[in-house]
Amino acid sequence: MDSLGGTPYYILEFGDELVYFSPYTVSLFLLALVFTLFAVIAKPERQVDIAFGGDAYYAKETSLQELKFRRFMAIACGFASMGAMVTGDVFNFTLFISLVGICNVGIVAAVKNRHVQNAAYQYGIVALAATVPLFGAAATIAATTGTLSMVELWSNATPAVPPVVKALLVLGVMGEGMAPFYAAKAEMFRAPGAPYVIMCSLSSLLIFLRVIEVVLVI
Amino acid sequence: MIIQRISRIISNYEMIMPLFAGAVTVLFVVAIFSLPLPYYEEQLYPKTFDPASPLNPYDRGGPPFTQVEIKDQYPENSPTAGYVTTYLTPFSWYLANTTLYLGTTIVAHPGGILDEILYNTRGLDTVVEPTILFIAFAIASYLYRKG
Repeated sequence: MDSLGGTPYYILEFGDELVYFSPYTVSLFLLALVFTLFAVIAKPERQVDIAFGGDAYYAKETSLQELKFRRFMAIACGFASMGAMVTGDVFNFTLFISLVGICNVGIVAAVKNRHVQNAAYQYGIVALAATVPLFGAAATIAATTGTLSMVELWSNATPAVPPVVKALLVLGVMGEGMAPFYAAKAEMFRAPGAPYVIMCSLSSLLIFLRVIEVVLVI
Repeated sequence: MIIQRISRIISNYEMIMPLFAGAVTVLFVVAIFSLPLPYYEEQLYPKTFDPASPLNPYDRGGPPFTQVEIKDQYPENSPTAGYVTTYLTPFSWYLANTTLYLGTTIVAHPGGILDEILYNTRGLDTVVEPTILFIAFAIASYLYRKG
């Protein structure tokens, strides 16, 4: 069995937990795992503001509560990305994608800053709207092919998935993975969100890479 | 010049949501024009309605408390599907035998047909879906409490 990401090393089939490890999915999985470990051991960045006109500066402290919450969201986002990387079931894939989306909302929203929270609100609405094409695509794949298993979908035994359905899936993932744009607009990458905001970019990158594989194999 | 103007518009992050909504709308219109999509007949839950059944519209055929034939997403992965109480609690079975209206209540109490089929055939979904809810509650409560 040849797939786009190389021949799978191992396919775990347990209930609907269809997981497959091909060279492609394993590399993405390891990337998500390593960055989740980084999020576990990382300490928050302290933002330093320089007082204008003087020789003074002051450092902003991140409260323990905020640190815990942001770390929790980053780790949850890492787990969700890992699940999305290795799953071989289209509906589970869309579920993990929306879990990544809502964790990204949490990472962005945890910063006590007015314009950051406005950005998080806007991103939350986009992530919410993106679930419609995302789950719509999964439902239409099940209706047109009768299966949600990627292993069966690439075996050519099932009817082809219509291109418009693939487009809906890609658009849904785009909406869920739009977090880095909002984080960048809210200038989170410098201090307020660092280093946990890295999980936003990484998870978005990973789900984009994975959806390309999914769309090409099904 | 036009690129400058476009990039100035989309550099405002409040414009992304209307743009995304527009993209979704355009794609949905394309999807509607590409109808009818081919429908695969061998579906997971065959739609055979029996209006005379007290379990209508949730009657999947077969007698309760014995093994019934259900279609799985992955039949080879769920060898015991169909054994677990065969999707009716005794109370449900009593209601089904005494009234004609169980079909309207069956999803609302424990042991409903849909839930049990779901747990048996799509177990990971039922774990990930509450996880999404819990994360959403965690964010909402954090934002609410920090004021």
